[in-house]
Amino acid sequence: MKTPLIYFMLFSFILVITSCDKVIDIRLDNETDRLVIEGNITDVLGPQVIKLNTNVAVSNTNTYPPVTGATVTVSDQAGNVYKFTEAPAGTYTTPKMIGVAGNTYTVNIVTNGKTYKASSVMPKLVALRSVSSSNSSYNSSDGTRKITVHYLDSKGVANQYNFLMWVNDVRVKRVLVNNDDFTDGNSVSFDLMENDIGINPGDKVTVEMQCVDKEIYTYWFTLMQQNYTGPGGGVTPSDPPNNISPSALGYFSAHTTQTKTITVK
Amino acid sequence: MAKSIFTIFITFTAIAAYAQKKATINGTVKDAATGETLIGASVTLQELSAVGTATNNYGFYSLAVTEGEYTLLFTCVGYNTIAQKVSLHKNQVINISLSPKNGLQEVVVRAKRLSNDNVVLPQMGVEKLNMTQINQVPVLLGERDILKTITLLPGIKSAGEGNTGFYVRGGASDQNLILLDEAPIYNASHLLGFFSTFNSDAIKDVSIYKGGMPAEYGGRLSSVLDIKMNDGNDKDFAVQGGIGLISSRIKVEGPLVKDKGSFMVSARRTYVDLFLKLTTDTSIRGNSLYFYDVNAKANYHFNDKNAIYISGYLGRDVLALKDVLGTNWGNKTGTLRFTHLFSTRLFSNTSVIYSSYNFVVQGLQNTRSFKATSEINDINLKEDLQYSIGYQHTLKFGFNILLHDITPGDITSPKNSSYNERHVEKRHGFENALYASDEWKVNKHLTFLYGLRLGGLFLLGPGTFKTYDDAGNVISSKIYYSKTDLVKKYLNLEPRFTANYVIDDQNSIKASYNRNTQNIHLLSNSSSNTPTYLYVMSSNNIKPEIADQVSTGYFKNFSDNAFEFSTEVYYKWMQNQIDYKDGSQLLVNQDVESLLTYGSGRAYGVEVFLKKKYGRFNGWIGYTLSRTERKFDDINNGHYYPARQDRTHDVSVVGIYQLNKRWTFSSTFIYGTGNAVTYPTGKYSSGGLTTFSYSERNGRRMPSSNRLDIGATLDGKEHKKYHSSWTFSVYNVYAHRDPYSITFRDSKTVPNTTEAVETSIFATLIPSVTWNFNF
Repeated sequence: MKTPLIYFMLFSFILVITSCDKVIDIRLDNETDRLVIEGNITDVLGPQVIKLNTNVAVSNTNTYPPVTGATVTVSDQAGNVYKFTEAPAGTYTTPKMIGVAGNTYTVNIVTNGKTYKASSVMPKLVALRSVSSSNSSYNSSDGTRKITVHYLDSKGVANQYNFLMWVNDVRVKRVLVNNDDFTDGNSVSFDLMENDIGINPGDKVTVEMQCVDKEIYTYWFTLMQQNYTGPGGGVTPSDPPNNISPSALGYFSAHTTQTKTITVK
Repeated sequence: MAKSIFTIFITFTAIAAYAQKKATINGTVKDAATGETLIGASVTLQELSAVGTATNNYGFYSLAVTEGEYTLLFTCVGYNTIAQKVSLHKNQVINISLSPKNGLQEVVVRAKRLSNDNVVLPQMGVEKLNMTQINQVPVLLGERDILKTITLLPGIKSAGEGNTGFYVRGGASDQNLILLDEAPIYNASHLLGFFSTFNSDAIKDVSIYKGGMPAEYGGRLSSVLDIKMNDGNDKDFAVQGGIGLISSRIKVEGPLVKDKGSFMVSARRTYVDLFLKLTTDTSIRGNSLYFYDVNAKANYHFNDKNAIYISGYLGRDVLALKDVLGTNWGNKTGTLRFTHLFSTRLFSNTSVIYSSYNFVVQGLQNTRSFKATSEINDINLKEDLQYSIGYQHTLKFGFNILLHDITPGDITSPKNSSYNERHVEKRHGFENALYASDEWKVNKHLTFLYGLRLGGLFLLGPGTFKTYDDAGNVISSKIYYSKTDLVKKYLNLEPRFTANYVIDDQNSIKASYNRNTQNIHLLSNSSSNTPTYLYVMSSNNIKPEIADQVSTGYFKNFSDNAFEFSTEVYYKWMQNQIDYKDGSQLLVNQDVESLLTYGSGRAYGVEVFLKKKYGRFNGWIGYTLSRTERKFDDINNGHYYPARQDRTHDVSVVGIYQLNKRWTFSSTFIYGTGNAVTYPTGKYSSGGLTTFSYSERNGRRMPSSNRLDIGATLDGKEHKKYHSSWTFSVYNVYAHRDPYSITFRDSKTVPNTTEAVETSIFATLIPSVTWNFNF
């Protein structure tokens, strides 16, 4: 029921015959030096990391200036406060912290005299049962494989999932999210559809499954919708809605994490 | 409201009573060869140039004049003019059959008087397309197309390459009322928008109203595209068809009872999928990709006063990825129409109309199988009356009772599927209307066309109806149990007014104001022609969309009406426009209305049109300068921003040249400013992926687009029994890469940088050939 994806696929099926791509030069306007917050609290005991950067012009290289000297703390609803210290520049960590399902975590960031806040609820873990590979009906002719994750969704609660995939340690540049709107309480097999890296037998594929809260799901889902430029150019892109106030780029996500690695057959 | 309509009616009846010593001529104008009724043929008096009328949508005319001796002139584009002497001392019925002109003949024997309807008739903002012209305009893969052709007119813009959606004077594509024999068509595209649902073989007449909407039409903001199917030949049996590269078509027509009744059946099917079966590539072989459609119509004329028509349309698209996913969608319509002449002056048309659109998406994989469907069904009772009071007044009035039945979304799945069953509550509602209008010829120079339409929406139970706040949270929820429970009611009064000042028979100035409202809204958060159309009615949350338009224009004919020139200026305000919140998932969603956000819009522009209707060389040049903007509180900081379809300049040139009896050449050229788009103004890393940041909504432009298409028709040698022709066309002659989309991604060549990628659909020229026949 991932409709944008469905039509992206069907449409490309028609276009394959005639369409063509060309790299072009475009002069873009710049609105840079906007604060970017990337905060992750996981259910694995260890250092938790919050990164502060600013955005750069599209024509720049992908190196993002760190925001230094900020005060960063995370608290939970029970009143526990975790202090984050900066090292290296722009990366703020707390050495020993574990996210607990059901807890609401709130980050408090003070930088340049402004205070930013964001809250995220750590969802209950849904176990990643297995990862499999199979022939892709979509492009079987070139021998590439598709990767499928299998899990049993928990009944009666809204679950949201974010998947990250690496092929031979190279990150697949696609946002891959799913929720249980249509599959609540069922055994689910979800295809990690991508057209970034061709996956072949013998490749090492690693999948990380994150259980995320609703706001974080909307953040990733919006990015995913903007990624698939279907007929007519897809949805008009904009900064995805996030949980940070006042407005800043990025997200603050408390999520569970599980990783599985397979060798593609 | 009812009272004021009544007052208007009484006033006119009074006027009628005073009109003395007048006699009425009425009748039907038909094609002499096929018996098809002719729409918009003009009926004038040679002796009194100010007196005249045109046949209505059913080929009927009525004209009341002071008793006397006259010469009646019947003119229609593409037909020989007939002059008929009449001694008028009592009411008379004059039925006329006009013989079609043979193109070349027309050049030699130039008709004495070419029509100047565009100057003298008050209607503005209207374009009528001639089917012969549509059939000669070159098109993609030889599949001639009404919708593609209308986007070559000023003020009407194509939604982009490979897309049959269209925008009229800044409106959205769901703000067009598309009628096929009076039945609304909810999805007018085939094959994800590459072709339209209208098979030109089956079409008789196409009119599009961009402004100055007549009061008999309503329910959509921007335009009315009124398409009439052929009635069928009531003289002889005829078969006609064509064999093309991607599709074939056939039409059979003939008399049921000679000169009294006829039928027509027309069908076509694409066969790209048959080629797919031939490939050795197993991944393609099992896929399906085709559409078909069937148009059928029959009519019977009991006598001069009573006739019955029945027509229908059925079309379906099927698309499937082998064993993974299938989808199919289509429209069904049916129209039963009864025309009756109460008197020489009072004409009535009663229609019962059915229209339906549905789509199905199916997952075909074992444990992931599901079937999702969505459907809208309409039943409509429509009564239209036309009453001529002297030659000064033509009164039109009627009503419309339309029941919408919407099944927003249903998912069914087998037991072992990972998908759950889900049923979104059905919705029912009446969309009713009452209208009256009068065309008042004040004197030789001045004509008013004015009217009033009262539209109402009555949303009915049963079901749970929620009201949401701006953030999408439920404020209140109420359960209705019965089909007769009224949930929400909206009444909208829509004034329509047009004035025409005729300076002389070659020059006129027109002005109009009209209000339109819309109570049925399309939700589809891709800007494209995906078939997952979801229609919703106005409700507790969605208010009726309202548009007010003012326009004025100058109309001039020259060279004995061979050339028509017009320019129109318009300004349009739109209220209660709909957009979606980010990350919306509209399908099979009970709370779909919580995802909507509301704003306003404005559109203004100038259209210039020069048309040569007659002669060996004909065609037109259209130019539009326009602006279309939207305003939403939560988009672009609440400032106006250009809508995606905002196109500053839009030029189209169409030329058709008949070289000799056998060869006809045609060509179209289009140029348009690029669509308004949002480009990133920065980038950052999010979860390890390069992510773009944005500032102003639609602040940038795609590169401009332009394209030249050419076509040629070779008519076969004259033959007693049959006739054949070849149509050749080349789409995108100079293989221009019209940009379709521009996207940004991590560079494939220089690590750690970003590149912009332009995608074009048709980067090459596309030739095609079709063989046509009839016998």
